[in-house]
Amino acid sequence: MVKMVYAVAAAVIITALIVGPAVWYVTRPPPEDVVEIYHWWTSGGEKAAIDALVSVFEDKYPGVFVKQTPVAGGAGYVMKALMKSLVLAGEAPDAFQMHAGYEGKPYFEAEYLEPITDLWVAEGWKDVIPDVVEAMVKFDGEYYSVPVNIHRVNVVWYNKDVLQDHAIDPATLTTWDAFFTACDKLVAEGHTHPIALGDIGKWADTHVLEQIIAGEGIAFYEKWVNGKVTSATDTTLVHALNTFKTYLGYVNPDHAALTWDQATARVITGEAAFNVMGDWANGEFIVPAVGKVYGTDYGTFPTPGTAGMYGLCIDCFQHPAGVAHPANSLNWIRVVGSKEGQDAFNPKKGSIPARTDADITKYGPYQKAAINDFRNATYMYPSVAHGSGAPETFTAELDDIMSAFVTDKDVSAAATALTAATTAASADYTTDWSLD
Amino acid sequence: MAGNQLPGRKMRLPSRTMLTKDRIVTLILFLPSLVLVGYFVYVTIGWNVVVSLSDWKGLTPSYNIVGFDQYTRLFQDPTFFTALKNNLVLILLFVPGSLFLGLFLAILLDLKVRGEGVFRGIYLLPFALSFVVTAVLWAWMYNPSIGVINTLLMKTGLGFLKSGWITDPNVGLYCVVLAIIWQFSGYTMLIFLAGIRSIPESQMMAAEVDGASGFDLYRLVVIPQLKAPALSAFVVLMVFALKAFDFIFVLTDYSDYTYILPLMMFRETFSMNRFSYGAAIATILFLLALVIVVPYLYLSFRREKE
Repeated sequence: MVKMVYAVAAAVIITALIVGPAVWYVTRPPPEDVVEIYHWWTSGGEKAAIDALVSVFEDKYPGVFVKQTPVAGGAGYVMKALMKSLVLAGEAPDAFQMHAGYEGKPYFEAEYLEPITDLWVAEGWKDVIPDVVEAMVKFDGEYYSVPVNIHRVNVVWYNKDVLQDHAIDPATLTTWDAFFTACDKLVAEGHTHPIALGDIGKWADTHVLEQIIAGEGIAFYEKWVNGKVTSATDTTLVHALNTFKTYLGYVNPDHAALTWDQATARVITGEAAFNVMGDWANGEFIVPAVGKVYGTDYGTFPTPGTAGMYGLCIDCFQHPAGVAHPANSLNWIRVVGSKEGQDAFNPKKGSIPARTDADITKYGPYQKAAINDFRNATYMYPSVAHGSGAPETFTAELDDIMSAFVTDKDVSAAATALTAATTAASADYTTDWSLD
Repeated sequence: MAGNQLPGRKMRLPSRTMLTKDRIVTLILFLPSLVLVGYFVYVTIGWNVVVSLSDWKGLTPSYNIVGFDQYTRLFQDPTFFTALKNNLVLILLFVPGSLFLGLFLAILLDLKVRGEGVFRGIYLLPFALSFVVTAVLWAWMYNPSIGVINTLLMKTGLGFLKSGWITDPNVGLYCVVLAIIWQFSGYTMLIFLAGIRSIPESQMMAAEVDGASGFDLYRLVVIPQLKAPALSAFVVLMVFALKAFDFIFVLTDYSDYTYILPLMMFRETFSMNRFSYGAAIATILFLLALVIVVPYLYLSFRREKE
């Protein structure tokens, strides 16, 4: 009988433990006024940039707390996976960072996003944001997100002292042949690995190939992102892969152990001369602990063959359907698209604003040059490596193919795999890019 | 109840369907965990199997059953076999490695060394740490340019042994195996040490009187009695080796040479939006885990009966 009493007591306690929290959950006080955002800006310069944007929001909407959830992982490859599980579980945050272009398409198709065309009209963004960029945030004629910045992907970063010491003039490095000749010279004079590469996460390999493909001309790039390069013996494609193969002959052998920023750091220290990376790398040079000066310590030039072209990697925020704080979500997007917000965020981020009416005096020397290039660009192209230019299934396959290529350097295997992946994803190529 | 009865004595058991007070209480106590485990484990496993038979692609759930299409594709996918092979290599090296190292450490500790508690703590500590933490530590050590391993080799004049470690496709997987053996050997040590300590002192003394000593004592008396702990450690290690994810993801990311089934499952599902394909990989993993766990459950069930 005593046993029985104990058992019933235990059952009562367990039930209380379950019912208690449930009652609390139902009757809990309403949540405070917040806007919850997810992003992958975790490095020093990136964090300073998003904090600046947040403080603009908090000045405009006092009393609303911005709850940031940063997810580490370059180019967001970790957060993209996390976000899908959140969205599928009906737990989408009020806004999250996303690349413009194809990356938003699965969300749009599954109706997880609400159009914000009205906001675009009301805020006058159509007048100040260039058409190519606009095209990247639209699906079926409606606007679904707003760009916060524009990063250029086709940039070679170089260490000025190293090039000066070896009497190399960066202005002459406009073709891959000239570039490789300079690399040969560096190797002969003791710089065994003149190009820095850090490909943890795989995307950095794809990033380089993409710039080489753009260097083959805008027409070929357009054909590629429209899913029309389907022959493994396509001479331009094979030529591009061969260029990449030559390129790999000059990179550091420990690339698989480095993140992109560790590779950039090799250019900062002068261990390597060149690094092909998007212009988020600028932040690595100018953070106070490093304190390098553009034009004095380091410089940039477009990746060979892409002079006058501006490769686009654009970060956006959107208005997910059914979020917890819809009004705050829209206000957040309003701040993201505003001149004030963009001019607070971009100087620190190293990117340039998506708006053409930005206050250029607020920007550093690299960005001033980039804004100038952007306004005078002949062609703009959406990055594939960063989710904009091609369907996500293709991009993920491409990362695998490029990562294998970096190890085995087998051109024909890569060309076969690459075109097969394009053919396999053919149904997903829904955007018809017009780049020239 | 039945266990309290003396063996061999016939007793009258209540019929199976009868509701005794004990049974009702047992049921009440059992219910919360039954509901939670039932829903979050068994229902979700069933749901996963359903998804694996569907054509769900993209972010819109689709339960349109298309049969075994995903499995057919899986068995034609070379990546699947690479991942499976890596998984098997991992199991073959990691499981015996951890078992033997754990046994070795347990025997060392059993020799009544001074400061046993300290050593036990040191050996067990890695297992108490999060996999992400230890993976980051190993990533630093293995780093080819700034890691302590290569630096140490250079400083001691063994520079010719320098390697790319986790970045070298030829040895990357072995480096990962070494790191997880290190992490798990403390756990197997504890299991074995508990097993050794449960052997009655009198048996050891009797063996010593009979002239057994040192190595023989362990080989003939102790090790044969460690079957049960070895078996349970074996199952835990096997299941871990099948589902290892965090450690490898942090250490080598999606590198081809350490690409195992859980990594492939995650990537296919969340990077490539192939939800049904990922679910098919999950089902295969589940079946593999069953192959290991079911015989163990059967064995331990039979032993309990005896």
